[in-house]
Amino acid sequence: MSIVFSVFAVVFLSCKDGKKSISSLQGDKSVLESILSSADSLITFPFVEQRVKKIKEALQLPKPVLLYPDSASAKQRLAEMIALNDSSFTQFLFDPFTKMPFRNEVFGIHQARESDMAGIPGPHNLAECFRVEMYNYALNNTSVAIVDAGAQKVLNRFYLSDTQPDPPYSLVDLANEIAMASPEVEKALGFKPTKEKLLAQYYKTSLNRTRCERSRHLCVAPTFLLGEKTLWAIVDLTDHRLVGVRWITSGKTGPAAPILTERKLQDDKISACFCEQETALIKDGWDMKYMLTSSDGLRISNVIFNGKPVLRNAKLVDWHVNYSGTDGFGYSDAVGCPFFSQAAVIAWDPPLILDLKDDANKTIGFVLEQSYRSEGWPTPCSYNYKQRYEFYKDGRFRVAGGSLGRGCSNTATYRPVFRIAFAGDGNNFFEWGNTTWNQWMTEKWQLQNSSTPYSPEGFQYKIASAAGGYYLEPGKGQFNDGGRGDFSYVYVSRHDGKRDEGESDLVTIGPCCNTDYHQGPEKFIEPVAESIQNSSLVVWYIAQLRNDDKAGSEYCWAENKLENGVWNTKVYPCFAGPMFIPVTK
Amino acid sequence: MIVISTFFSCKEEEVDFSLNNCKRNPVFIQSMGFNPAKSYLSTSEERTMGLVLIEAEQPGNPQSRKVKIVQHPSWRKGGWLAPILLDEKGNIFTAPAPFITVYNNLIANNNTIYKVDNTTGEMSEFLKLPFADSINPENPFGIIGMAYLCETHTLYVSTVAGSRRYEERGNIYAISTESGGIIDKLAGTDALGLGISYITGSRELYFGLARNSDIMSVKLNSKGKFSGDAKKVFSLAGIGPRGDDKVRKIRSDQNGNLVIHGMEFNFNLIAPREKQETLYNFIYNNDENKWEPRK
Repeated sequence: MSIVFSVFAVVFLSCKDGKKSISSLQGDKSVLESILSSADSLITFPFVEQRVKKIKEALQLPKPVLLYPDSASAKQRLAEMIALNDSSFTQFLFDPFTKMPFRNEVFGIHQARESDMAGIPGPHNLAECFRVEMYNYALNNTSVAIVDAGAQKVLNRFYLSDTQPDPPYSLVDLANEIAMASPEVEKALGFKPTKEKLLAQYYKTSLNRTRCERSRHLCVAPTFLLGEKTLWAIVDLTDHRLVGVRWITSGKTGPAAPILTERKLQDDKISACFCEQETALIKDGWDMKYMLTSSDGLRISNVIFNGKPVLRNAKLVDWHVNYSGTDGFGYSDAVGCPFFSQAAVIAWDPPLILDLKDDANKTIGFVLEQSYRSEGWPTPCSYNYKQRYEFYKDGRFRVAGGSLGRGCSNTATYRPVFRIAFAGDGNNFFEWGNTTWNQWMTEKWQLQNSSTPYSPEGFQYKIASAAGGYYLEPGKGQFNDGGRGDFSYVYVSRHDGKRDEGESDLVTIGPCCNTDYHQGPEKFIEPVAESIQNSSLVVWYIAQLRNDDKAGSEYCWAENKLENGVWNTKVYPCFAGPMFIPVTK
Repeated sequence: MIVISTFFSCKEEEVDFSLNNCKRNPVFIQSMGFNPAKSYLSTSEERTMGLVLIEAEQPGNPQSRKVKIVQHPSWRKGGWLAPILLDEKGNIFTAPAPFITVYNNLIANNNTIYKVDNTTGEMSEFLKLPFADSINPENPFGIIGMAYLCETHTLYVSTVAGSRRYEERGNIYAISTESGGIIDKLAGTDALGLGISYITGSRELYFGLARNSDIMSVKLNSKGKFSGDAKKVFSLAGIGPRGDDKVRKIRSDQNGNLVIHGMEFNFNLIAPREKQETLYNFIYNNDENKWEPRK
């Protein structure tokens, strides 16, 4: 028997060796064509104003609760009133710290069933008993009261965290209105939708199929049937906005039941469109490609301005976060793609391309911006980073990044590590020496501090090439982005195509908590500093940003504030990064 | 990182094959001056890389005051670690897993099983599992789950090393702790948490898939090898607060029913503190021969 089994085992092993292929998102048209709404969108709808007015009025009441909005019998209303007079059922109406009201709304007053009466000593007249469900938008929890309207008392009450009861019809109608009015839905459908195109939304199965697990908001998914395809529109009823849309093939037997949620919608789209392929960008004389990396943020490559090569590539290698309150405590955060990556803080939205305007509101270029965020931000020890490339019509460009907090404490120093690889192999590097430009002959690093000399124009370095080159102007608080100075380490290393010194995706380059120049790039210039004359050069720029939570001077910080009964995040970003200015001959 | 703490208690020192519970306390715990009843091993101390031994006033309560903490010098050699498993002699098996960054965890070392000697407390390399091919930087993980079958002294280890976005190359290995050799493997499967239960009448290894929310099982024969194909037994899809949890850990309760620790997992290095964990209880319905969530 054992011999027989051994033979079997050999066959078994050999048959099972190998790998399984997984379908690529690149082949999924529905993912590629899905649309994510920007969380920063200012789009509002006139019909939402009425709802917001009601919310504000309810928040002024001694019992700040939006009553059940649908029609209800007198007994149901009595049950609602009894429940709202129960101090235990209403224990989540106010923030215990600020005493400000949370947004609460009664979602249902249902006839009680036998199952609702389990554990409640009887007997009771079931016809007189109701299950009252109240949703707390700020805490994303549900309070339930079992009420005997005849006896005018609450028989039982309990709470369900991270749980949303079925919303009332009027809220589902509101979600449908938001979906139908959203330009993303119209764009996906190719026409302005009407109510007739909506599938019935009043069935539990439909409403349970989506979640906003990241924002922990109340979301529902109005769907639009078009032939055998269904367009899912995820609507956030906490913020009254569209999260995004995606087509799902439903087939002839009716709508399929995929679980399309906020996170899946976002991660799939970002992965398919920006992690697995490069995107070309031609604008304002600039020509480049960009894509999200596994762990080096948004990488731009083959950057050309007015036909002249400028950068081979640039990226954000790491964020080193050091907490000075505790020796050696902190994190090295890589930023990048949501799936199969070494990123600790992942891309949350697709890259944005925004107009860059001057004080007179005149467009002077554009911004390529990428956001990364921890789940749960801005709770303690979560992070939110922005990476920003600015391109000006006059040939200037800036490589920048910022932290939006919040981190683990108010003792953090953030050190973003930028890697900027210049085009061409005949570059030379100079620093300003009070009166003249002095050339760096070999690989080297230097710290920007209070005694650093700047040229009359404010420049610290010059990368010179036969075509002219660029001046480097470090952050000194002059860029009108809230930055208070970079206090940067700059390293210059020689690029050699025969070895990889960070040209491909870099694993974490340095530890979290070194406070000197040992941030990682030094490994490419030590122990033997190579010549950097007439070479292909890489500039590493590491800013140092100390956070602050003091009222009025917050920096690299974020905090939640209750506004209209729900949490809104107030951010205090700290941006850093150098500006590059063309050398004019 | 997958965070796991293993708690010692008098109960866990009992040898009970039917519950597959044969763990024993390592001898070195007492020789280090720790009270076994109040001590536990942890790889989830955020500020201490590697394995640590902790004596707490109330083990099991994360808020409890820690009375003593010790780390043998060898316990850091694997970088950040994740699974912890005890055998019937009190030996500890563990493996590396990156925590937020790969800075202290070389990907090339992700498929190494370490053993902590029950007497000396010295941690050394037990077995280096084969890599599918060259190091693959897009996937920072290797070994993730471990389970132990007492009656055959077999260690089961899941690894996703070498898997890529569109290529599933993980394996579940069956390893003899006596010989230190691989006796069997399930290839082409990315699995996370592992657990063993006898409740269906046969010994079965349960494992959660890394790419979806399904829980699979495969029968084990009397030698601890895999017997037949793995089959799907239930899923976490659509349940719980997120609806797409993956299985971090599986353990069977006293009756052989399964307690599933579910959390988000997408092959990235999101900090574990950001990942809410949900416990799912599944009981076996003998009448219908299927697993059902406990109501």
